Amino acid sequence: MKFPLLELFLAELRRTWIQFIRYPSEAIVGIFIIVITFYFLFAGASYIAGPDAGLSGASGSERLEVLVVGYIISILVISVLSTTSNSLEQEASTGTLEQIFLSPFRSLTVFIMRAFASLSLRLVIVGISLTAILLITGTQLRFPLALVMPLGTLLMSAYGMAFAVAGLVLVVKRVSQVLGAVQFGLFLLLGSPVETMEGWGRAIAFCAPMVPSAGLLRDLMARELPLNWGLYGIALANALFYLGLGFLLFARSERIAKQRGLLSGY
Amino acid sequence: MKILQAQGLGKTYRRGGQVVEAVRQVDLAIAPGEILAFLGPNGAGKTTTIKMIAGLIRPDRGTVAIADQNPHRDPHALRQLGAVLEGNRNLYWRLTPLENLEYFGVLRGLSRTEARRSGRELLERFELSHKRDAAVQNLSRGMQQKVAIAVALVHHPKLLLLDEPTLGLDVEATQTVKGLVQEIAASGCAILLTTHQLDIAEALSDRVAIIRAGAVIAEQPTQELVRQFSGASYQIELEGNLEELLEAGVRSRLESQGIVMQGNRLFVRGAEALYEVLELLRPAPIFQVKKDAADLTEVFLKLVQES
Ligand SMILES: Nc1ncnc2c1ncn2[C@@H]1O[C@H](COP(=O)(O)OP(=O)(O)OP(=O)(O)O)[C@@H](O)[C@H]1O
Ligand SMILES: [Mg+2]
Repeated sequence: MKFPLLELFLAELRRTWIQFIRYPSEAIVGIFIIVITFYFLFAGASYIAGPDAGLSGASGSERLEVLVVGYIISILVISVLSTTSNSLEQEASTGTLEQIFLSPFRSLTVFIMRAFASLSLRLVIVGISLTAILLITGTQLRFPLALVMPLGTLLMSAYGMAFAVAGLVLVVKRVSQVLGAVQFGLFLLLGSPVETMEGWGRAIAFCAPMVPSAGLLRDLMARELPLNWGLYGIALANALFYLGLGFLLFARSERIAKQRGLLSGY
Repeated sequence: MKILQAQGLGKTYRRGGQVVEAVRQVDLAIAPGEILAFLGPNGAGKTTTIKMIAGLIRPDRGTVAIADQNPHRDPHALRQLGAVLEGNRNLYWRLTPLENLEYFGVLRGLSRTEARRSGRELLERFELSHKRDAAVQNLSRGMQQKVAIAVALVHHPKLLLLDEPTLGLDVEATQTVKGLVQEIAASGCAILLTTHQLDIAEALSDRVAIIRAGAVIAEQPTQELVRQFSGASYQIELEGNLEELLEAGVRSRLESQGIVMQGNRLFVRGAEALYEVLELLRPAPIFQVKKDAADLTEVFLKLVQES
């Protein structure tokens, strides 16, 4: 066996996709909810703004595109966080979680491989939802290749948060309720174009998790701007910071959980 | 050569101002092919001990060595370890037995091909081949437990930890699991097993370790332990409760002689002592006197209830 990490990644990939393909109903319902929710938000927004404000007008259509990108980013991030905590809570209760800690691989390594594997599924689900939204609303987005760069930093900070959440699940167990509130905050933060704010608001927006990457994605996909390298540097620093913080908190939590005998059960 | 050596293990839980001394003093050692039954009442510290051995709980004191490697420091030690822990089935419900075996095999460091081969062999050996492609959640509880044991063995560990492997199984499934455990040990794997079904422990184990309130109070070859207790041990049963039939003075004299009293029964060791006790009991109505052909259950109860 020459590449144990590759073997592990492929095993995680198989596990993820087999479970999805065998029981696709949850994912399909999920896609429906994502699309319907957007539809009502969109309808609600144009209703509140009134026909004159015209989300379908010239500048209105750009606003809609910005809205779609922000929406799909928040959905992606929230689904990463919630699948992490849900699957971990479930694995703690069925006893598979402990088996992961019985592996000669470091648990952080296993969870990173899991993150990559489940990301492939998340991207497909969110991709399908996005396509449906674009078709229904008649919006058009650009998908330049440079897109992968801010998407990468977005996912790095998202997984940083996911690892922090995973650590919390190890120690506290039930985090679903807390997570609900966090998700709402993220929804507002990522869904609104904070990158256009000025002064202190802008500075804070750069420090908040994922926000600079979200701004870049809106620039690229909705505002037809080229990649701003200065901003990208900030996004990358932001991503590295949150990813490192997530790893640190996870490792910390694992130690506490082993100290207090909390790995699954009790 | 010992596969497992645990020495001086101790663990105290602190949570919300409460302090539980779950494990105070535990030494355990198991040789290849040996089955050690680790017995004790609820809350005695069995699961905590097992998890400390598996590296899942960090001990406050003491050391663990699996094939001379410390699982808390050296993750490679875990290559030699398989475990089916208490509670649920340790399996992915939506995957088939073979998929579970394959996944966990890779997680334990095998390649996919090796994991598959080993998985197929185990399913064959455990007579589960016909269920190879059914989702685990559709299997009976007994079969799920067999799959869980197979998963714990997929990487051919030298030490297998089984925390209450027959919990919730029907008679037939229990027998099957019993047979498997024997077979696994016969193939050279060392097994540490906890159970509250003492007949199973007696039938399976080469040695027993009994833990009470976090400390091992007896550790001996099973048959020796049972023999030692049945050799010259008698049970006297009165026609009523000891408290009512005997004066306090008599009871405290019996107690000072080390006689165990319980309900309407007294447990006496040695023929000499028996006559003395009978003398003391006069004129209380005796229902029967019998020599204890002890089984592990009685030995266990006596040891655990003695103070
Ligand atoms: N994580 C924990 N935090 C606090 N106390 C704990 C924890 N785990 C176990 N305990 C306590 O430690 C003691 C020993 O528990 P343990 O689970 O090791 O016992 P056991 O011998 O396995 O019991 P059983 O036969 O019921 O399974 C019990 O009093 C239990 O309540
Ligand atoms: Mg237990």
